[in-house]
Amino acid sequence: MKKSDFQQFNGKDGKPAYIAYKGHIYNVSKSKHWKNGAHMNSHMAGEDLTDAFYDAPHGVEVLERLEKVGILEDETEYSPADERKEALRDLYRKFHPHPMLIHFPIGSLFLGAVLQFLCLITRNSSLENAAFYAFVFGTLFEFPAVISGIISWWLNYDLTLTSIFKNKLIFSIILLLISCFIVIIRFCIADISFQINIFSLIYNIAIFSSIIVLVILGYHSGKITWH
Amino acid sequence: MNEKKKKRIKELEEMIEIVLLSIPREIASQKYYQKALEKASSDTTIKFFKTFVEEEKKHEANLKKILKDLQTELKQLKKSK
Repeated sequence: MKKSDFQQFNGKDGKPAYIAYKGHIYNVSKSKHWKNGAHMNSHMAGEDLTDAFYDAPHGVEVLERLEKVGILEDETEYSPADERKEALRDLYRKFHPHPMLIHFPIGSLFLGAVLQFLCLITRNSSLENAAFYAFVFGTLFEFPAVISGIISWWLNYDLTLTSIFKNKLIFSIILLLISCFIVIIRFCIADISFQINIFSLIYNIAIFSSIIVLVILGYHSGKITWH
Repeated sequence: MNEKKKKRIKELEEMIEIVLLSIPREIASQKYYQKALEKASSDTTIKFFKTFVEEEKKHEANLKKILKDLQTELKQLKKSK
């Protein structure tokens, strides 16, 4: 039954009185608690009472005594797709992959920057190599972290683009670009850290700016958790 | 767009963000108390956690309603000249 048709069954002028709960329509015409389509002077027939049940002094068991007369067609809130989403949400809540995965790139990129800083001071090639591998590891782990973050955004916030999520998206993309740039440049020019030229300068700026981007990302993630 | 409208849009966007971020917390609390309810053995504890679960459900439902209303208002405001 379409919502507009359902709303006509308001129990007035001899019409039957119907109410809806989670997409199902119930006939309350014969109920002594629904005289003239009104219940306790606060609910009217022809209304979807799904949310109202949370405030009711009785549970949904009262519906078992009523005749089920149909399905609310344009009720999309509890579709099978939504139920699947809810199941996935429960799974996500249990294993929380985003908070788990996000620490790998954060730790690795930060470690990479610290090692690169020590390499610039000591000119030690082992430190430089370690910094490179930390960046490779961090960059690879950025992808599952970002993907799990997007899934989490979809499950918990229906992909609603507010300022926090906008900033998180922008800075995640910036971080991905910076870290890919660092890995590719270092892969192509193995001794870039020991050169003194514009490329080496850009390379080092990229490494240390990735930490600034990480801090900004952390700030926005913190806002979601601790706002 | 006049200043009053801009200000209202900003207010609505901020409110939407606050409400949006609050909903998963209410759901998480619900699940948390539900778990405790399943493990509770005494009648007092069961009653206590049942009330908590119901309260969190109410909060979730109310927040969802508020969010819907705010989003509708924002949409209409952005559409209007």
